[in-house]
Amino acid sequence: MTDTPMSEADLQAHVDGRLSPERDAEVSAWLLAHPDEALRIEAYRAQTEALRAALDPIADEPVPPALDLHLLDRARHRRAGLRSLAIAASVAVLLFVGGMGGWALRGWTVPPGTGTAALAREAASSYAVYASDEARPVELAAAQRTALDGWFSARLARPIAAPDLSAAGLSLIGGRLVATEHGPAGLYLYRDGKGRRMALYVRPMEVEGTARMTARRESGVSGWTWADQGLGFGVFGSASPEYLHDAANRVRSQFQRT
Amino acid sequence: MSASREMIAQVQPLIPALRRYARAMLRDRDDADDLVQDVLERALGAWHARREAASLRSWLFTILHNLALDRLRRIARRGTSEPLEAVPEARLATPATQESAMEQRDVLALVALLPEEQRSVLLLVGVEQLSYAEAASVLNLPQGTVMSRLSRARERLRRMMEGERPAARPALRIVP
Repeated sequence: MTDTPMSEADLQAHVDGRLSPERDAEVSAWLLAHPDEALRIEAYRAQTEALRAALDPIADEPVPPALDLHLLDRARHRRAGLRSLAIAASVAVLLFVGGMGGWALRGWTVPPGTGTAALAREAASSYAVYASDEARPVELAAAQRTALDGWFSARLARPIAAPDLSAAGLSLIGGRLVATEHGPAGLYLYRDGKGRRMALYVRPMEVEGTARMTARRESGVSGWTWADQGLGFGVFGSASPEYLHDAANRVRSQFQRT
Repeated sequence: MSASREMIAQVQPLIPALRRYARAMLRDRDDADDLVQDVLERALGAWHARREAASLRSWLFTILHNLALDRLRRIARRGTSEPLEAVPEARLATPATQESAMEQRDVLALVALLPEEQRSVLLLVGVEQLSYAEAASVLNLPQGTVMSRLSRARERLRRMMEGERPAARPALRIVP
């Protein structure tokens, strides 16, 4: 035990547990001999604990979807991808002008397995699997629509709400989340007056963030796909393409309004 | 170029701590998460330019701290900083269930009265448990300055907790 003054830095490091065991023991011994200082250091320790107790619950909260690094990274690549597509486009135009022939342009814009063509295949398969399921076509029924919309919004990291298609004679059955190689997708199922089912399929797009409405036919199922602001849509069903086109237009205008 | 898998695996576990520091500094859940999103986007973009020598944690906290200061200055200029009483409690932190809830709210309210330069040291060392060297690198200060600010912050908070009136300095004003 000693009466030499203790450095303030050592006292602070004692509070933070940053001293070597030997030095820490010396500081503890010194504090025993200096009760006023011991009180002050004890108060520092208590305030540190109070601060941690007040702030630690924040670190225990679930991390919001907007801070999902996978999604942020994908969004970044999407932006970079659009830039390289623009470069590819100008190169292609140069090749064309140079007389290399238009054949080089075929299918260059979107790699196979991505874009709305891929979305069309996924949407048609989801329709084929789930719309025909009599026992359990959906995970959450229309009665739990708020929960369903919230679920999709969280997993797709953007506001999603089931469009109201009653004007087209369609009522919501419910929906489920679908796994794809591009991440989660949302599937809403609707029923028309004749009991026919229609699927609305929605997921974020890595490429083709904006695409015009295109008629599709995949494995005997017809429908329409398009993309707006990075979100891709597919409307598939057994009704006529004209009827589905009308429904798709209604979906699109309702999503554009949100 | 993908920062991807390696980066995500290393950064993801640190996000809760980044949110905690951001919220303690900005005192608003939405502003804080917005700030953390900004940090993560910059980190994704600058991943390959990062100096491997610096610890990942101090690198991320450096980005976060500097962006937080920018925002606080902007808020101070606009003069829209809400008095603490006006901030709904839920936006500050999950309320504790025990009777210590009052005490915890008090300690946060008092920390908010500290000058920013003392508050950040107190949070980085006390709550985020950065080493003194890491805190010095985040704040771009010599370690000795970090130690003296830490000591002043703790003493000031102790006096406030013991019921002395906080200094007459205008609260929460950030002087650039």
